[in-house]
Amino acid sequence: MNAVGLIFTDGFDVDIDDMIERRTLASIPFGGRYRLIDFPLSNLTNAGVKNIGVITKKNYQSLMDHVRGGDEWDLNRRFTGLTILPPFSTAATSETESYENRLEGLVANISYLRYLHEKYVIITGCDYIWNEDIEAFYRAHVASGARLSVMYTKKDIEKTTKTESTYVRIGDGDKVTKQEISNTRPKGAYTSLNTYIMEREDLMDILFKAFRSGKKSFRREVIRPMIEKGEANGYEAKSPIIHIDEITNYLKGSLSLLDKDVRNAFFSNDDRPILTRVMDSSPTKYGENAKVTNSIIADGSVIEGEVRNCIIFRNVHIEEGAVVENSVIMTDTHISKGARINYAVLDKNVTIEDNRWLSGYITHPFYCKRNSII
Amino acid sequence: MKKKRCIAMLLAGGQGSRLMPLTEHIAKPAVPFGSRYRIIDFPLSNCVNSGIDTVGVLTQYQPLELNDYLGTGTPWDMNLRYGGVHVLPPYQAAEGSDWFKGTANAIYQNIRFIQRYDPDYVLILSGDHIYKMNYDKMLEEHINNRADCTIAVIDVPLEEASRFGIMNTDGKGRIIEFEEKPKHPKSTQASMGVYIFSTDKLIKYLIEDENDKSSSNDFGKNIIPKMLDDGQRMFAHLFKGYWRDVGTLDSFWSANMDAIGMPEDEPEKLILNDPGWRIYYRHDSNQPQYIGEKGEPKNSIIGGACDINGKIEHSVLFNNVTVEEGAFVKDSIIMDNVKIGAGAYVEYAIIDSDVTIGSEANVGGPRENGKLSVIAKGIKVRKKGRVKQGDILTKPEEEEETK
Repeated sequence: MNAVGLIFTDGFDVDIDDMIERRTLASIPFGGRYRLIDFPLSNLTNAGVKNIGVITKKNYQSLMDHVRGGDEWDLNRRFTGLTILPPFSTAATSETESYENRLEGLVANISYLRYLHEKYVIITGCDYIWNEDIEAFYRAHVASGARLSVMYTKKDIEKTTKTESTYVRIGDGDKVTKQEISNTRPKGAYTSLNTYIMEREDLMDILFKAFRSGKKSFRREVIRPMIEKGEANGYEAKSPIIHIDEITNYLKGSLSLLDKDVRNAFFSNDDRPILTRVMDSSPTKYGENAKVTNSIIADGSVIEGEVRNCIIFRNVHIEEGAVVENSVIMTDTHISKGARINYAVLDKNVTIEDNRWLSGYITHPFYCKRNSII
Repeated sequence: MKKKRCIAMLLAGGQGSRLMPLTEHIAKPAVPFGSRYRIIDFPLSNCVNSGIDTVGVLTQYQPLELNDYLGTGTPWDMNLRYGGVHVLPPYQAAEGSDWFKGTANAIYQNIRFIQRYDPDYVLILSGDHIYKMNYDKMLEEHINNRADCTIAVIDVPLEEASRFGIMNTDGKGRIIEFEEKPKHPKSTQASMGVYIFSTDKLIKYLIEDENDKSSSNDFGKNIIPKMLDDGQRMFAHLFKGYWRDVGTLDSFWSANMDAIGMPEDEPEKLILNDPGWRIYYRHDSNQPQYIGEKGEPKNSIIGGACDINGKIEHSVLFNNVTVEEGAFVKDSIIMDNVKIGAGAYVEYAIIDSDVTIGSEANVGGPRENGKLSVIAKGIKVRKKGRVKQGDILTKPEEEEETK
């Protein structure tokens, strides 16, 4: 593996303002104990990538607290490892603002790329998550001789129509024939996962030129010309993909882990474990009258009430007589007796007092901000 | 180098023969406990939480898994440039080599390790107790008493006192007499096997003890009585809280059950969910547990990556345990990677890691009938197989069948 990884931690095409009010997209909790960054980080390290740059924009304190020195991914090496790339203004932006798009985010970090030795760069993000063999992606790219490879999926990905996504058309020999950016999937086009591989020096060169000529968009002004010149190959990701772009898809994506095949595709591959920060919580405890079915329950939680079709994070307490269904309950949240929760996403450290009934619907989940008391 | 005020020496060499077959391949301190811990996590976490960052772990019996588990001490924040956790096996020296003859001899052979850190005090611990204790409070008492040795004691019921080493003290806590397993105990203060020595005195007595050819080189039998005879300043430190010796299968079982939760009226409880006194452990990289459509966990603690589709009552399940539909598990300890087939029944049993219990198999029996059943690591119980209550199954069940 002769590639460095670059991970975008912000969503550029997401509509999930409530959840990222005080955190970056990358540190959104997911699947009972993970954060979204765990997926690209684990995918890259499982493939043998030794140098990973994490491009941050704002609100990245919780992200830094989560990844720290990268110990969990064995990225705390002496000469290689994890580098958090904090935002700073480039000449293209005003002095007070940090970058607004992927291109500026990359340009601002050319100097990080300059001092590495790897031949290739893999660029990815946190809004699509999967457990895919990145080494196979790398090998396919090297074998193809293409200038750029783009990962895409043929699966129908649920997305909000409020924001745009990237789509690609694939022709003979996996050649990418066209890139389209739109709110809905054009007929015959496939969803691009905004995951690319190309040569490091080539990327630096392109970025430098794009910056000098005042370009603004990575996809429109850097990727598209390469595709139009026939220099890009497609690589189809086959594993299940969860797209986090708004609260409804967050809830649906979370609950899709209750499906055995999806869960196994994400978590049951011994060669490709998804790793996360460990917390030394106590084991999950079930009370005398607990009733739990079809749920993922993290450690440190105490379940005394009823739980059906839920994702329960660490250190959650569900009291006897509470009923929680079809919901995601994040770390340190407390649900008191007599409460009923249905189709809800309760963020961290929420307190639901006695006998509160809260319900959303699968298409309109009830979201409750961090530290709220109801 | 900077000197350390206090370092700990953890005696982890015991064979743990009364815990067989759990200790067949691993040292007693490495035996798993409470869904995700190992016994040694308790003294190690106590050290870290008490501000002691240098621990020598004296290993001898089956050390492979214990060494792996300790590694460089990262889980306990003991991966330090100076100090940290050190595994101290018996070694060969110019004048010969020796296995550790007794607890005192094990420390004697590592006097150079102690001297390297030049501590004022040495804490001696054993690796077979479950408890949460602040050693710093004990050390403070030791210093205030200007003691040569302080021994942690716990109040035990009078009828059980004859199973322990009993300390008889004067009004100020000074030990005037020590009796090992007395028939007629004069007090109920039992030694917990936790000692603090002032380093000079410890080294002096270890050397004297080594030169005494009649000695069995044991702290309880030799060092402590000798120091008392010599009139050294020895004090008892009364510990109040949960403390259990898990040296036997029955006591190991019941301490695990205490980890689930203890009755309200019990004065001292084992509380694992304690942010103020965390028990640290080495993590497996696994996924969160999944409770299936037919899962019914009640009054139990369950570890990571489990897939539960059966009924679980009053049990301790470790990591990566699969319980299929219709299976029933009660009053049992189920260790890592165990698979319990559909419709199987397990009651009042300890199932060691990597065991497969076939569908509709029947293991153990009600606790009221008295006897604990044990299945050793890696055994396969065939479909509809039967392990009688009280059996300790250490060979594949096929052989049982031919009897």
